[in-house]
Amino acid sequence: MSATPGGGSRGRRRRFGDALRMLARSPRRALFTAAGVLLAAAMLSAAVVITDGLGGGFARASARADLGDLIIRFDPESARTVAAKLAALPDVSGFALRSEITSVGVRFGAHRSGTAVAEVLGPGRRQGFAVVAGHRLPAGGAPDVLVETAWAQAWGIAIGDELDVRGLGPERVVGYAEGPDDVGYPLGAPRFYLTRAQLVARFGIPTVGPVNFAEVWLRDPRLVDEVLVQARDESYGLRGLKFSTRAGVQVLISQAAGLVIDLLVALSVIALVTAAVMLGAAARAEVQRRLRSIGIRRALGAGRWALAAGQGLEVALVAVPAATVGTLAGFLATHGASGRLLSLLNEPAPGAGLILPLLGSWALSVAVPVLGAAWPAWRVTRGPVIGLLRGTDVATSRPRFPWPARGGGGLTGLGVRLVAARPARLVATVAMLASSTAFILLMIALAGTLSSLETDPQELGKRYELTAAAPAAAAARIARLPGVAAAEPRYELTAVDAYELGELVDVVAYPRQLSRFEAPPLAAGRRPHGADQAEVGVGLADALGLAPGSALLLELPSGRQLDLRVSGTVNSLAYEGLVAYLPAAVLLRADPAAPEQIAVLLAPRASTATVSAEMRRIGFPPTLTAGAVARGAPLVAVLTTILRAVAVLDGLVCLYALLQACALTVQERRSTVAVLRACGASPGAIARLLSGAVVTLIAPAAALGVLAEAWLLGPALARLAAGYASLDLAPTRVDVLAVLAGLALAGAIAVWAVTRRALAEPVLAGLAR
Amino acid sequence: MAVIEARGLVKAVGTGRAARRVLSGVNLSVDAGEVVAVLGRSGSGKSTLLHLLGGLDPPDEGEITIAGERLTGARARAQDRIRLGHIGFVFQQFQLIDELSGRENVLVPTRLPGAPAGGVRRAEALIDELGLRAVAAHRPHELSGGEQQRFAIARALVNDPEVILADEPTGSLDAANGATVLELLAHMTGRAVLLVTHEPEAAAIADRVLTLEDGELVGAGAGAQRR
Repeated sequence: MSATPGGGSRGRRRRFGDALRMLARSPRRALFTAAGVLLAAAMLSAAVVITDGLGGGFARASARADLGDLIIRFDPESARTVAAKLAALPDVSGFALRSEITSVGVRFGAHRSGTAVAEVLGPGRRQGFAVVAGHRLPAGGAPDVLVETAWAQAWGIAIGDELDVRGLGPERVVGYAEGPDDVGYPLGAPRFYLTRAQLVARFGIPTVGPVNFAEVWLRDPRLVDEVLVQARDESYGLRGLKFSTRAGVQVLISQAAGLVIDLLVALSVIALVTAAVMLGAAARAEVQRRLRSIGIRRALGAGRWALAAGQGLEVALVAVPAATVGTLAGFLATHGASGRLLSLLNEPAPGAGLILPLLGSWALSVAVPVLGAAWPAWRVTRGPVIGLLRGTDVATSRPRFPWPARGGGGLTGLGVRLVAARPARLVATVAMLASSTAFILLMIALAGTLSSLETDPQELGKRYELTAAAPAAAAARIARLPGVAAAEPRYELTAVDAYELGELVDVVAYPRQLSRFEAPPLAAGRRPHGADQAEVGVGLADALGLAPGSALLLELPSGRQLDLRVSGTVNSLAYEGLVAYLPAAVLLRADPAAPEQIAVLLAPRASTATVSAEMRRIGFPPTLTAGAVARGAPLVAVLTTILRAVAVLDGLVCLYALLQACALTVQERRSTVAVLRACGASPGAIARLLSGAVVTLIAPAAALGVLAEAWLLGPALARLAAGYASLDLAPTRVDVLAVLAGLALAGAIAVWAVTRRALAEPVLAGLAR
Repeated sequence: MAVIEARGLVKAVGTGRAARRVLSGVNLSVDAGEVVAVLGRSGSGKSTLLHLLGGLDPPDEGEITIAGERLTGARARAQDRIRLGHIGFVFQQFQLIDELSGRENVLVPTRLPGAPAGGVRRAEALIDELGLRAVAAHRPHELSGGEQQRFAIARALVNDPEVILADEPTGSLDAANGATVLELLAHMTGRAVLLVTHEPEAAAIADRVLTLEDGELVGAGAGAQRR
């Protein structure tokens, strides 16, 4: 090794050669450093991919699609009438009208659906969705359609394929489209776009017809609230109005993704800090080992900067390839799933926009360990050269905080003391392990709750098993079928808060036995008893400031108003808690045409299949009552994939942290281990020593992790996910035990690996220190 | 009866052009109750010989038997067991564990799996015997050099071994403390003590003094010869 590398390219080459030689002398150390950098980089890049994907997804989608500032849905109305009302609004720079036709039958190969949505577009280029592949719809009458990307992916529809649309015949797919105002298939219905011009040319329908959807662009999007109020005033005559704004959609999406993103970022930062602490400690131990060599070089005239740079360069040679591989690994582990998730949300992947953040995370993954390695060399060379030649300690080897001198002198206790002698590292490692434990527990609890919501209608307070589209008069006939305990008409419609006209409310009504068919848990007050009483979801109560005894004035699609008194609030997950349950008589008095269906409650031990067959026989084919996210199964699957990838990375980081903590303990206390071996310590004794070290890290981490999940993360996520209902995000006892067992297994692996490594070193090498 | 038996020990150190044979067929026999001092210049192989006899380093050639058990050729675990039951080490740098008190350092060998019973009782007796009771709860950095070495000697004796291997035991001590330590080593009744030193004062307590020169032990009593 050269004493004074000097400047210029020759000096740099010499420094480079020196660093390479030093690395080649201790390949195991280099490998360990590489593993740490790789894992931290992978964690960081996974967080970047998910954060950038989810966090910026809606902004990218709405920018690409040129999404309107105001989206209005209403019952079919003449396009001329609607256009006149929209033109009267202030600050409008443009609008697009279309007919949204639901329950359209479509078939492609073996796939078929009767719930597709056809978006029949009016004239104009500005439509609020993006054509992401293929080309836009031609102006003529060719039978061409655009299909949503998520749907095309799910069914394998390629551009150029023909889609069979009931009533239209074969339609050629000319491109893929994405509209960020709604989620993609199968979270939403299959959606395709065609022009009204096509229908005019092929079927001779009038050029101007009814529409039920409008997208409005404002000159100044900041004025959307004022325009919204004006739009409600101008909307007289339009029925079934539903307003949504671009900002409102974005808030919903950000809220859902926010905590997941925050957790990921926090976790990856902790992983990086832990890796930095570990690598810094390893570098310090290495500098301690090379102290005399550093002292000699200093004595020969080498500068502090050159020595520190040499140490940094050595780690950089390992960190650069490791961070590159780690960044790529994190990207590959999450990019596919993140892309699928964005596709389901009708949002584009970041594409090339991800390069810069990934480069940043890569640079951070390199810079942190390099600085961590250079710092001890820089620090130790502050003192006089003679101190270095005499082997001054880089850091004191004495315990930094008092530990009871009596008791606990066994090998396990000694292991505890060795780890506790480095409090900063102990705290960083415990924090890392605890946050990982909490994160994994939270993900398990979340998956369990999602699964339960998806499959179990009881979670929503729904007690009926079947519904049938049938008139109210059919209820008595269905109730007499074998296996049916009760059947009642169920009325449901969407109303709006009459005071502010801002909040949509789902109104559910039964003639007699509301709580028998649908009874979400009561949060406050009591069940409705009088004719004018209603119980409302906590979400609605929060939004409108309602409490038991408050007045609730709802405006129905018929234009009539319902004047109600709130009897109680319920924890309802359905309709995001924006729901009111009331007696049917009150509803029907205001709106006799309220949509109805028959809710069917089965007798104990009755078979759903048998009752369904009976209902089909009498002409009322039933539908199984669904959970909250029945159509969200693919979303749950994608989220699970992402969370699993992150959890695997997280688990690996935990294992690395434990391995590195044990390895550093052995490295720094080589003489202690050597003395024990000289006294006749067997491999089992060394393993016991390291077990003490690992238990010191794992035990508080496990306790803190479980408590953090139970008291902090679980409630926080539950509040954000469903502020309108009490969502229990507590893992089961089995889940907790499984996670703790995983932690213990990681600890056992660390003890086994480091014991082997410690025993491979000659006793004399440790004693000579 | 010989507690330490070494025959034809050969050991080379270094590699390539730097390779050097430090022991060239060393024979040694030490009886129970005998104190043997090995002298030699720095780098002559004194410590290497001690390490070979303690099973800390394998010889290139030769055989070693400790308390009737063959050390050379034994598996690592068997060597651990021999060290635990039959050998006590005293090092020049004391090699006490920083995190443990003096008393706990003495107790360390008794806590190792397979250690003979009665370790705590012996440890307490040794602490009293070596005059360390008052400082038993202190950590190494709170002790003087002499106190540290006395704790190290107590640790070497705590499992009641037949062999004590002392590597420059007074090398880091002042004259007064060195004398105390030598006094202790000189009166280890019933044990075979092998003392490696370059100090004449240390050699003065030995029953036999051997010198390591050019890889061979010479002097009165070397090999089969006795003083």
